[in-house]
Amino acid sequence: MKQFLKTFKVAFQAIYKNRTRSLLTALGIIIGVAAVIMTISAGQGATQEVQSQISGLGTNLLMISTKTEHRGGMDVRMGRPIDEKDLLMLQKNSVWMPKLSPLVANGVRAIGPQGNKSTTIYGVSSDYFDILNREIVSGDGFTEEDVKTARKVCVIGETIKKELFSSADPVGRQIRIDKVPFTIVGILKEEGKGTMGQDQDDMLIAPYTTIQNRLYGRRRGYNMIMASALSEDHIQDAEIEATELLRETHRILEGEEDDFEIMTQVELQEITGNVTGILTLILGAIASISLIVGGIGIMNIMLVSVTERTREIGTRLAIGARESDILTQFLIEAIVLSLAGGILGIMLGILGNQIIYKTTNFYIPTAMDSILIGFGFSVLVGIVFGYFPARKAARLNPIDALRYE
Amino acid sequence: MPLKKVIETRKLNRVFKNGDIEVHALTEIDLVIEEGEFVAIMGSSGSGKSTLLHILGCLDKPSSGEYYLDGVHVNKLNKNQLADIRNQKIGFIFQSYNLLSRTTALENVELPLVYDRTGRFTNSKELAKKALEQVGLEDRIYHKTNELSGGQQQRVAIARALINDPALILSDEATGNLDSRTSIDIADLFVRLNNEGKTILMITHEPEIAQFAKRMIYLRDGRVLTDELIKNRSTKESALKALELIT
Repeated sequence: MKQFLKTFKVAFQAIYKNRTRSLLTALGIIIGVAAVIMTISAGQGATQEVQSQISGLGTNLLMISTKTEHRGGMDVRMGRPIDEKDLLMLQKNSVWMPKLSPLVANGVRAIGPQGNKSTTIYGVSSDYFDILNREIVSGDGFTEEDVKTARKVCVIGETIKKELFSSADPVGRQIRIDKVPFTIVGILKEEGKGTMGQDQDDMLIAPYTTIQNRLYGRRRGYNMIMASALSEDHIQDAEIEATELLRETHRILEGEEDDFEIMTQVELQEITGNVTGILTLILGAIASISLIVGGIGIMNIMLVSVTERTREIGTRLAIGARESDILTQFLIEAIVLSLAGGILGIMLGILGNQIIYKTTNFYIPTAMDSILIGFGFSVLVGIVFGYFPARKAARLNPIDALRYE
Repeated sequence: MPLKKVIETRKLNRVFKNGDIEVHALTEIDLVIEEGEFVAIMGSSGSGKSTLLHILGCLDKPSSGEYYLDGVHVNKLNKNQLADIRNQKIGFIFQSYNLLSRTTALENVELPLVYDRTGRFTNSKELAKKALEQVGLEDRIYHKTNELSGGQQQRVAIARALINDPALILSDEATGNLDSRTSIDIADLFVRLNNEGKTILMITHEPEIAQFAKRMIYLRDGRVLTDELIKNRSTKESALKALELIT
């Protein structure tokens, strides 16, 4: 142990005496570790962001849609569409899904006093606002009565308001949607950018009946039925119930597959979690390559250093250093270099995350495990890539080493 | 009381094999060097003096024959034991000093104690300072290697060879890189250290330096050609005088 401490001191002096070279050697590791930390942190930050947006989507959300399969580059409907019959049946029979709303989406052109704009109109029931947790900040929204009578009313998003109505409160005014005039009955509370970067305020919401009857004629089927389960604990129950009821209504025999799909919020989180997780893994793996390159850099410099210091090694052996002393010295040099590089890299990575936060406002919490990975990796790199040069140094023949020019 | 034998070799042979060709670098060397001796080994290049120094310095092993260093049978030692015995019993001095660059004289002199496993030295700094005093460098203790002249660097190297209180000081062409005047200073330093009781064995091909020793061994083709005491030993004064006569 005492010998180890003495050798440690020797190794440290050697690094200190070659400060510039040591720093340059460690640079590969510094950048590698910083890259690992920043990519893993960014990946985890994005995952958290997506997850929190999904959980903000709605309370205990379920989405029921027709089963589709990907065929020849197109999504093909595999069963009969989800339609009014299904909706009425669920409304009548469901115990676990107190709120239900169909969703009919269409791309439209909206025209207001300030101009016109391509946007999307969503046809829904009045439950929609509760299911998706969307608040109306001005106006009263529409009622069940409006839905029943298919009145030409709509709720608009903040983006539509800004672009088509300037600053005045447009509630009560008219908006033309694909040439049909609608009365504005509410403004949605601003939501900002969504998970995939889409603008969640660039939308119009109207009774589904109005869209089906007045805008496009009677179209069969909905894009989906949205529902919210009674509570978080009953999402599973709601899913089972919906499956049973729909199988019955669709007359699907036992053993046959469903012709519809039910996606719950939990499943959505799992899927996006998987996607972002894989993304993080890939980015981290790419960043780790730079760490390996850094390690090779250390090995390279250490090999040069061994050759350059051949005579020093010979002298040390001649005055009584054991092979193990030389091995330890060079191994410690490599490990200290990569470890110091690792620590500097961790600091650089944290700093990088801060700079990204300050400049783009995208908050990246520095992932604790990325710090541990960066730290562990740099030690490992030091040992693995330091061993070969150290062994080469230790195995030098003292006589040849002393003569080396 | 008979003097202690620092070196004793019996029928020492060293054969290098290069493919099918065998080169006999040393043949049947019988050598005894007692405590307090100052021996110069001379010979042309290829005479085997370096090989002999390497074996005596425990850096190499003989092909056959026996070697006792300060009573230890060296043949039987393994690599680590050889390293330890070099550390404990031998002080090496090299032609090109072999000091650590950008390192102070003091740290250079301390170096052998880094590898001391006996724990017999407690204050390496004090010992290093004392060794530097012995070679007359007490005012250069904290100078770095590159701030010293060649002669001063070799003195640092000598101090490094002294610090572990070795049974034997081995000098391999210590004056080979120095000018005549400085060479004489170094040779004179060897004489003084020898007078203080150190056993010194030096290899040299400069007859005027060898003249400082008490005994001269002449090697040729791996055998001892002559082995005799020196009658007219040089002193610093006589050597300097001889130098002036030439120039």
